Amino acid sequence: MRLAVIGAGPGGYVAALKAARLGAEVALIEKDEVGGTCLNHGCIPTKTMIASAGALSKARRLGEFGINLSGEISPDFTGIIERKDKVVSIHTRGIRALLKNHGVRFVEGQGVITTEKSIMVSKQDGTTESVEADRIITATGSRPAPLPVLPFDGETVISSADALRLRALPASMIIVGAGAIGCEFACMFSEFGVEVTIVELRDRAVAAEDHEISEILERELKKKKIRLITGVSVEKAETGSGAHVLLGNGTELDAEKILVSVGRSFNTEHLGLEGIGIEKGPGGEIRVDSRLETNVKGIYAVGDVVGGMMLAHVASREGVVAASNACGVDLVMDYSAIPSAIFTSPQIGSVGMREFEARAKGLNVRTGRFQFRGLAMAHAMGEITGIIKIVADGDTGRVLGMHVIGPNASELVQQGTHAISSGLMARDVAAMVHAHPTLSEVVMEAMADVDGESIHTFK
Amino acid sequence: MNPEDLKYHKEHIWAKISGKKATIGITNYAQESLGDIVYVDLPETDIEVSANTELLEIESTKSNSSVISPVSGMVTDINEALTDAPEIINEDPYGKGWIAVIEMDNPAELEDLMDFDEYEAYIEEEESK
Repeated sequence: MRLAVIGAGPGGYVAALKAARLGAEVALIEKDEVGGTCLNHGCIPTKTMIASAGALSKARRLGEFGINLSGEISPDFTGIIERKDKVVSIHTRGIRALLKNHGVRFVEGQGVITTEKSIMVSKQDGTTESVEADRIITATGSRPAPLPVLPFDGETVISSADALRLRALPASMIIVGAGAIGCEFACMFSEFGVEVTIVELRDRAVAAEDHEISEILERELKKKKIRLITGVSVEKAETGSGAHVLLGNGTELDAEKILVSVGRSFNTEHLGLEGIGIEKGPGGEIRVDSRLETNVKGIYAVGDVVGGMMLAHVASREGVVAASNACGVDLVMDYSAIPSAIFTSPQIGSVGMREFEARAKGLNVRTGRFQFRGLAMAHAMGEITGIIKIVADGDTGRVLGMHVIGPNASELVQQGTHAISSGLMARDVAAMVHAHPTLSEVVMEAMADVDGESIHTFK
Repeated sequence: MNPEDLKYHKEHIWAKISGKKATIGITNYAQESLGDIVYVDLPETDIEVSANTELLEIESTKSNSSVISPVSGMVTDINEALTDAPEIINEDPYGKGWIAVIEMDNPAELEDLMDFDEYEAYIEEEESK
């Protein structure tokens, strides 16, 4: 079986490797670098730079830990960017090595589907190559969506991708959009000394999260002196060497840079989708069934380009499912327990239903909570801010959702994923022995609190 | 400020009355129960607040606690110094640790508050519970 995959991000390259493992002859087509948005312009570079912000924050607090440090502590932005580039490069080389090791043929160029069995690849040197395949997986991803009143210019009005390539730190920045990306950049740039203002159309920060999580993050932003303006739109902007912005409520703001993070656009153009009649959904995403196959038999799509939860780990799982189906191993994509992580300070981790979602479905809901400041380990680490909230079925106690804001929330969330995916009751998790002293004890206490049984909570 | 001259709300809030203005803070008993205060989420000025409703939250190493307004009225001033140095409340709850000034709408509400002796007796009763 010959498989062609277009796009080498976390959806496409994983699909290519999986298919190769299943014995397919695989060609992977990519116009840029392997790793896609995640590795080159998203998850990995941001987390690397956020690690620098975390180190800076810790350095500034060393006195609290009884450590003396003399001299000035300041970020060296060039050094931070160089470290980020190095980490990214380790992983692009790693993926290339894995592809080679699995015998995947890497074809560099822009792929256009010409028939159900062939793709024309235009290479950088001007030549073209026709790749023939029995099955095709499209994994072309997404890109930052522009705001009509604030089109990207790459200099003053920048995208999240541009923000990772800045040569110097601006003195001030307006971030449009208080979603995961906007809030991560706000925390990071603020730590580096940039004066940050966030403007959000909805009524709260990280509006997709449980309301209690948003409330705590909003207070943490306030503590960092990040100004958050919610419930307003950007009406007008004048940009030149800096930017002057007029908001819907009449407020005027000035800043050196504007970072627009208001969503993602699907990369479905110039792919040849129309030519072979591939259907799109209402948002312009490629429509697929639960096996990730499009309406055209033998052509699959995975990752951001199919919409839904646009997360790297979702794309990778979709890649495995689509590659398996393409190779004759029947799999269905299961979205019931997808964790998400936001690397704000503190971090947010969430999986399953938020309380407002469960209530909107008319479910009888019971919740459990625990504060990080109730844990000895949180005090030992000097990271006491945050809570964990469990959303459980009111009748059975079955875990429906787990939402965490606090230290290591991105790791802790996995316990909730296990619980939901295994159909556990909150009391089942509470009865599991958790190592002491660890942050994971918050999960045990909050799961117990669903039944009013948290030992370390006042009666 | 002399604690004996203050009015007290049962949620461990003190108020110093001067004409229509009430300066408020948390009592020494409250700050001792909370432990080290790490953040005071100050309200905005020029907002209306009702008696017995939450005015702000205080985070300490032990808990997040609501601070109740003992009177109704408009917040005319807040203690900005607490933003960067919340520990002032632990150090001087009746003085430099004041939290906000409220211009009262209804001074009759003061009759619901306790005086110093009544508050002392109230704490003793709470402690023995």
